[in-house]
Amino acid sequence: MQVNPSPSNEKIFTVTSVTQYIQKLFSSDPILHKVTITGEISNFIFHSSGHMYFVLKDEQAQIKCVMFRGSNLGIDFKPADGLSVKAKGEIRVYERRGEYQFYVTQMTEAGKGSLFAAFEALKEKLKTEGLFRSEIKKTLPEIPHKIAVITSPTGAAIRDIISITLRRFPNIHILVVPALVQGEGAAQQIAENIAFLNEVLPELDFIIIGRGGGSIEELWAFNEEILARAIYASKIPIVSAVGHETDFTISDFVSDLRAPTPSGAAEMTIPDKESIVKHILLLRGKLNRIVLHIFALKEQEYASLNDNLKYQSPKNKILQHMQTIDDLNNRLRLNIKHILNLYENRLKNFRDKLTTLNPKSVLSRGYSICLKIPERIVIKNINQIEEGNKISVIVQNGSISADVSGKGENKNEC
Amino acid sequence: MSAKSKKDEGISFEDSLKKLEEIVEQLEKGELNLDEALKLYEEGMYFSDRCLEKLNETKQKVEKLTKEADKKYHTEPFTMKGNGEVVEE
Repeated sequence: MQVNPSPSNEKIFTVTSVTQYIQKLFSSDPILHKVTITGEISNFIFHSSGHMYFVLKDEQAQIKCVMFRGSNLGIDFKPADGLSVKAKGEIRVYERRGEYQFYVTQMTEAGKGSLFAAFEALKEKLKTEGLFRSEIKKTLPEIPHKIAVITSPTGAAIRDIISITLRRFPNIHILVVPALVQGEGAAQQIAENIAFLNEVLPELDFIIIGRGGGSIEELWAFNEEILARAIYASKIPIVSAVGHETDFTISDFVSDLRAPTPSGAAEMTIPDKESIVKHILLLRGKLNRIVLHIFALKEQEYASLNDNLKYQSPKNKILQHMQTIDDLNNRLRLNIKHILNLYENRLKNFRDKLTTLNPKSVLSRGYSICLKIPERIVIKNINQIEEGNKISVIVQNGSISADVSGKGENKNEC
Repeated sequence: MSAKSKKDEGISFEDSLKKLEEIVEQLEKGELNLDEALKLYEEGMYFSDRCLEKLNETKQKVEKLTKEADKKYHTEPFTMKGNGEVVEE
């Protein structure tokens, strides 16, 4: 280290040189060089550069920490304020600020180590056995009638599930099946309840198992094999609703449906009755309207066809024919009258002529007819008669018998 | 299919709703004679009745189940106080 001499021979350092000296002390220290610290995260900042800045603290002290992007890519949880962690790294001085910092290279959730390993091992084992296969997951009915909730009867979880369920679907049957949800025997109790419900109430639409949020230890019952096996064996669909959205448990993987939270379980599984009823009533309304519309159309169609039919009716033709017949009748009558008149006239003419030609009418004018007796032939020629012949002279109103006493021939023929 | 055949009595809500939706769709398409339309209308009403029935089939009940020996159990009403706190009766 470079030291500037002074009159009093005391050593005077520059800020840089003393800082470098301190740095050297830190880095040569066997403990600070490679240290593991547990504490609670605070003031956590995940910078856009990808580096993490935070403070680790306990009741009495705190230490500034930085975890660079290259290191923090490997951590398998989401660091956040309040989380207890176990961090490995090196404590050095940040010279520009004159601060010492904990340069973290590895970090795990505190207390998680062994549990986490157990979790991973069981998860792998059950997965290999096929307990998580999506094709064996049972479907939940759209309209549940009777459901069971295995949980603590006094927690917030059951309160949330009941109130949300009843809000969404008021007329439903909920069975609360009390069970320990953490600590010794909790997994066993939940598993036994699942088996029991399968035996005595197989008609249940589904079973929700779950609890509110907590530490990994508190949620551990839901990571136990005995419970996983009970869920797998259940004929009734199981909904797993454990802790918060970020908490994943073995129950979540093996159940038929994983809900992020207990209230989420109710939201996901219970239909909103009001909107369903609305939907059905809407369809009914459509049904009514469409059929009325079809009726109106058909009525219109009928009316128009009816009009058409009336127009085409044989009645019309009959009326027309009747008119024609009347017409013809009239003409016939007129014609016949005319013909009759003609004949009447002709007849009258004939009668007149006949009257004129009737020999009797000649008699009335003073002419007479001479008949030769006894032959009674009309004498037209003087040569038909001889003196001494008898004749009968017919006049208008009688006849005269006479003897021919003489005859003379007309010389000048008229 | 007759709207009133016996086999429909056990029809699920999902199937009833699907039928209802299909019938409305078919009617909306038009091109049906009056008899067909009336038949579909009757069926549609039947299935919507089934849907509504299914929705109202159950009465609200919130109960606590307590196991007893020999696969027996009993139930009792389970209620929550106004402030949301769960109480056992």
